[in-house]
Amino acid sequence: MESLLSFLLLGLLGANSLALLLSRELRWTLAALGVQYLLAFFLVSATWPLELAAVKLVAGWIATAILGLTLLNLPEFPGESETRFPRSPVFFILVTGVVVVMVIGAAPELVVWSRQFNINQAWGGLFLIGIGVMLAGLGNSVVRNILGLLTLLAGFEIIYAGVETSILVAGLLAILNLGVALIGSYLMQSSTPEPRR
Amino acid sequence: MSSALLWIGLPVLLGVALLLYRRQDALPLFVAASVSLLLSWAAWQIPIDVVLQFGPVSLEITPSFLLFGRSFTLSDAQAPLLAFIYLVEAIWILGTKLAKPGPLFIPINLICIGLLVAALAVEPFLYAALLIALAAMLQIPLLAPAGTQGPGVLRFLKFQIFAVPFILFTGWILSGVEASPGNLDLVARAGLLLALGFAFLLALFPFHSWLPMLGMESHPYVVGFLAFFLPSIGLIFGLGFFDRYSWLRDSSQTYLVLLLAGGLTALLGGLWAARERHLGRMLAYATMLCTGLGLQALGLGVHSSQVFFALLLPQALAIWGWAVALSMLYRPEKTGLEIEGLQTQTQSRPLALLVLLVAVFSVAGLPLLGCFPGRVALLDGVAAASPWAAAASLIGSLGLLAGGLRLVHGALASSAAKTSHWVEEVETAPAPGQANDLSDPYMWVFSAVVILSLLGFGLIPRVFLSAVPDLAGMFSQLAP
Repeated sequence: MESLLSFLLLGLLGANSLALLLSRELRWTLAALGVQYLLAFFLVSATWPLELAAVKLVAGWIATAILGLTLLNLPEFPGESETRFPRSPVFFILVTGVVVVMVIGAAPELVVWSRQFNINQAWGGLFLIGIGVMLAGLGNSVVRNILGLLTLLAGFEIIYAGVETSILVAGLLAILNLGVALIGSYLMQSSTPEPRR
Repeated sequence: MSSALLWIGLPVLLGVALLLYRRQDALPLFVAASVSLLLSWAAWQIPIDVVLQFGPVSLEITPSFLLFGRSFTLSDAQAPLLAFIYLVEAIWILGTKLAKPGPLFIPINLICIGLLVAALAVEPFLYAALLIALAAMLQIPLLAPAGTQGPGVLRFLKFQIFAVPFILFTGWILSGVEASPGNLDLVARAGLLLALGFAFLLALFPFHSWLPMLGMESHPYVVGFLAFFLPSIGLIFGLGFFDRYSWLRDSSQTYLVLLLAGGLTALLGGLWAARERHLGRMLAYATMLCTGLGLQALGLGVHSSQVFFALLLPQALAIWGWAVALSMLYRPEKTGLEIEGLQTQTQSRPLALLVLLVAVFSVAGLPLLGCFPGRVALLDGVAAASPWAAAASLIGSLGLLAGGLRLVHGALASSAAKTSHWVEEVETAPAPGQANDLSDPYMWVFSAVVILSLLGFGLIPRVFLSAVPDLAGMFSQLAP
């Protein structure tokens, strides 16, 4: 039963990350980010006390809210400019496939080597790190880059939770997440032209 | 009172308070500079962990401050470094009078300096990566004021965030390495992660691209501050690794890697500076050269901390002078900072140009100027360990020297043009509202301080570098 739940959790994380990569509608993308923090919370709570794991969930949701409110208040939604990378769904599915293949290879090794976190955390954490790097690397707008950084940090926090339970680190990582979201909000606003009066 | 509250809490709180101060007057400059100088003096004069009696009042600065079960420790050994950091912060604050980087510069940089000092104080010291990342993020509103955002800012943010997982994860692996130093597999993994983390943090090749991008996009004073403080604190953080972990100190391969990586960064920074036509980008490449040389200093082993600080002190002054001079020449609405634009500035900004040239040649390591004594000590040590690495850093320095000569050519060519054709004379007249800097007493004081100090560092290093042994004493395992 437990392994079934784990598979379900990882399956949801994969589907959610795919939605994060593929969605062109920023409202759905932000919803996927919120769900991602909920799934990350379940993975972190395997090794952390619930109240400490909740810090990550709350910080993540506040970061999502900051980005959402900024987007709502922009005079126009930031568009996706043309870049040297393809934007088709097939390309992003291939990118996800590459990340999955790498994670399948690396996660069991990491668990054997560290002996401090379980395989679900290794899979989930490495997968989010990979997706985060792809989002930040292929993103052609401020919001995509910020989503990539937040996803990368969420993945890292899942893995790091297995080896570090310091309240100070949890607090600093939460501040870092909020800082990235606030910087993203600032950059989105500063790159948008003032509405004509 | 705790030392952390004084040297971390006070500047952060003052920075926050000044953020709320909305009037555009000189009060933030005077308050921030006074507090920075006071903190520098306190670090220099007041012993930590000793009870001082002032009549009926007794004062003791305790070295540790506990926060959520972790401590921030600033002991007597770190006092010279605190004095240096706050002195440099004070001169950067005073420089805003001429550089005019914007009203947010002073408050944000006070908070940044507080966070960077916290990074040097936090125990376990690997948590420093998080504090450095937070300090870097705070710089973004200065680097990209509203409406002027370029791609360099996002890349800078990404690379600083990428550094965090690598360094934090290394900390966990290092605890395993300490327990079993003979486990070569573990040592190799820790070394690889550490190298990647520091490559992102210090903007080493090939993760340096944000530096020249910001050099072109952002105000040169902000770029100068960032490009000096961030790698310097990162390298001091790196010295901490060598001071703490004997397996790292005992590994000859680590030193060779540092010498070669530093040599490559210095070589590329210098060569790119030589062919650069934009003065902001040239400053960015010059700081890359300085980072490469600092990395080589770390690779010297037992003398590393002394050579590192002998390089750092004059570089701090030269980069500051360079950044102020560039800010004086910075006119984004006109020619920007292209070398060709100097033609319109030679008559109105002769002192700024003079300081710029002295700073460029000093960073390039020209004899008789500030960075030369440290550079000779570095080359002497590096050449004995790896002639290739020494050759790379020497060529890098020569590259920057060539860039400086191009600057001289640009300035002289424009002067010659002015005296030959009356048309150019009309074009080079100072813009309305832009006074000649020869009539600015503050500019005279600034020029005299920079030029005389850099000459002092070069001509009488025994006096000007006398603080180096005290600074190096902070790393007991790395001082001879």
